[in-house]
Amino acid sequence: MIRFLSSLRLAIILLILIIILSIIGTLLPQGETPGFYQNYFPHWSGVISGLQFDHLYRSPLFLSLAFLFLLNIIFCSIKQLPLKFKQLKGQIEFLPAGGQPVNHKKLAAGFSDWLWLLPNSLAEELRKRHYQVNIKESGGRKTLVAQKGWPGLFGPEFVHAGLIIIIIGGLISAFFSQRIPLALTEGQTVDLPGKSFSVRLDRFTTDHYPDGSVKNWKSLISIIDRGQVKEQKTIEVNRPFKYDGLNFFQMSYGFDWDRTKVELEIKDRSGMVRNLGVTVGERVQIEPEINLRLLNFIPDFGLDEKGQPVGRSAEANNPAALIQISRNGMPVYLGWIFYDHPDQARAYRQSDLNLEMSLKKFEAPLFSGLEAASDPGMNPVWLGSAVLFLGLLASFYFNFCQLAVRVEPSERPLFLASSRHHQTGFYQELERLLESRPAIAKNSARKKGRETPDE
Amino acid sequence: MNESALQLASFIIYFLVMLSGFASFFGSKNKWPVISYYLAISGFIIQSASLLVRTLVSGHAPFTNMYESINFLTWSCVLVIIIFERKFKLDKAWPYFWLIIVALMALVSSPVLPKNITPLVPALQSYWLWLHVSVTLLGEAFLAVAFVASILYLTTGHGSSRKTENEKKKNKYDFIAYRAVAAGFPLFTLGALVFGMIWASRAWGRYWGWDPKEVWSLITWLFYALYLHTRLVSGWKGKKSALIAIIGFLAALFTFFGVNYLISGLHTYV
Ligand code: HEM
Repeated sequence: MIRFLSSLRLAIILLILIIILSIIGTLLPQGETPGFYQNYFPHWSGVISGLQFDHLYRSPLFLSLAFLFLLNIIFCSIKQLPLKFKQLKGQIEFLPAGGQPVNHKKLAAGFSDWLWLLPNSLAEELRKRHYQVNIKESGGRKTLVAQKGWPGLFGPEFVHAGLIIIIIGGLISAFFSQRIPLALTEGQTVDLPGKSFSVRLDRFTTDHYPDGSVKNWKSLISIIDRGQVKEQKTIEVNRPFKYDGLNFFQMSYGFDWDRTKVELEIKDRSGMVRNLGVTVGERVQIEPEINLRLLNFIPDFGLDEKGQPVGRSAEANNPAALIQISRNGMPVYLGWIFYDHPDQARAYRQSDLNLEMSLKKFEAPLFSGLEAASDPGMNPVWLGSAVLFLGLLASFYFNFCQLAVRVEPSERPLFLASSRHHQTGFYQELERLLESRPAIAKNSARKKGRETPDE
Repeated sequence: MNESALQLASFIIYFLVMLSGFASFFGSKNKWPVISYYLAISGFIIQSASLLVRTLVSGHAPFTNMYESINFLTWSCVLVIIIFERKFKLDKAWPYFWLIIVALMALVSSPVLPKNITPLVPALQSYWLWLHVSVTLLGEAFLAVAFVASILYLTTGHGSSRKTENEKKKNKYDFIAYRAVAAGFPLFTLGALVFGMIWASRAWGRYWGWDPKEVWSLITWLFYALYLHTRLVSGWKGKKSALIAIIGFLAALFTFFGVNYLISGLHTYV
């Protein structure tokens, strides 16, 4: 079980499954109602709701795969680390010289002679080439371990450790991050839940380019603590502001249509025309005993399937006002009037009222869409990213190379040369190194009575 | 010189690079490879000048819409091909890489991509735009080289008459693909994922939101993680890893084009 959990095979299976699920998540619209899926995916809606694929990235299936992947990396690293330290310390499984690839044999012979006769000269040449060299001698046996680029050996472990930290940070974010949307019009103050201070929007401005498109939104806000302004700061898109663990962002802007002020033109029986300004919810007296009330304002008027008025968007595409008129407290008129279609009033009730109304102007206060966010998982994610990236650099740009040779009388020499990335390149480097070997007397003492490979 | 003249000049030169590269196939020991290489350097300098002119004229980074991004990706690919030629000697593979460059330049020059300069929307006004996009596209340029090398790997036959020669070529393509991924993967990780998360956290207040563009970058990244790990399992080198490098780059292309045109999300600027 542990072996399977730490295996590369499981990692490959999990990677493939996570890729497949992620792709499904981008193709299947997320966060829709059950009705939506029944409508558009009639055959699959059972599967979608059963596996909770309407919010796939938080579904039990996806989260358990992610969790299994986390376990996989952790177990894999636990298995790898001791092996790596063993390798670093030079506790290596030697291959007998005879069983090595052909181009190995010349190197094996050359280096074992060199080590046997002139160990110091070999060590010096290796050090010149930035190897760490360790030579041990015990009873006639000489062992040399030389290596360089050790960060390359541990690069993958750093990558995997970074990944573990990132996933843990992500889990912390998923459970503990907080976002508070704040829609403020100028002068408005809101309290922040769980905090002792409140936020006031002092000024909201929109900059434009010469061609009229939006260049920037800026909110000047004040942090108010017990009636006192603690700090005042301008927030822009891409320039958040941090206060007491909360980050404030400029997210959007829009019109607060619920506080629209409209101007009506009212023409009465006698042909007299007058203009009247009224705000949503407000009641005004237009004649003795006659009151007008602006019940509602919709910037983009439309009808839903049941024929009920709805707002299709927050844009002023088809502005409409719902007007109620009462005489002596009795409603005599109720209906929508339209800015773009003055002759198409949509009245629900109309008695003997001889007023003609039209919607001349409308004006809603601008609000600034801010968001206050706190996320304790963020710093672990940055830390993990840094570790992961450094690990990648170490994996790919430090090539761990190790040369190990062991010679003893009347034994075959043992030889090992390994490079994580570029085996043939390493052999070539060693061949060049061999050329700088000082001349060694032929028929050296060590050779007597022993066979040396490939000579 | 204005941008479009420089751009056209570099297009023509890249075309000549490709022609002279293929010309080197005919006859041994000819001068074509050298000519081709120096043409490539000069084309690269001219295209760099065109990017510089556009940056100065527009006053913002030269990768804020489709035209600019593909142009910058092409420029990055040229840079990477030249680096690989200098480091590893691409030999017979050289002109095939330029085939891709010429195709990309044709796309860039075509009227399909509007070339007018538009002002930056507020969300893009950040130095993170420079870091995020330039590093990501540079990383993708390396991945593109791995893609082409992998295609060459798969299309180089075993041809019995020249078996050892072809084996040698294939080993080289496999090696080039791996080295390209080894350079492209860290850059893509840094640019797309790390810088992307940092920028998202500054602009939107969250570093990750499972937005389709984010998910597709992750999918691309996971494919290359798959590429690296399958190579560690014996027997997966060669054909299978070439296939994964190809699919991985197709995922990168989908992140680049498909998400913008087919799936809607926050990242709809480019
Ligand atoms: C998306 C997740 C992962 C990423 C980005 C990643 C990244 C890496 C990288 C960059 C390398 C170095 C490759 C090379 O030098 O060519 C590596 C090696 C390795 N990875 Fe992963 N890894 C991931 C997940 C895993 C998992 C889940 C396992 C668990 C089995 C695993 C096991 C290994 C092993 C055994 C090595 C070889 C170590 C060595 O050569 O010393 N990786 N990984």
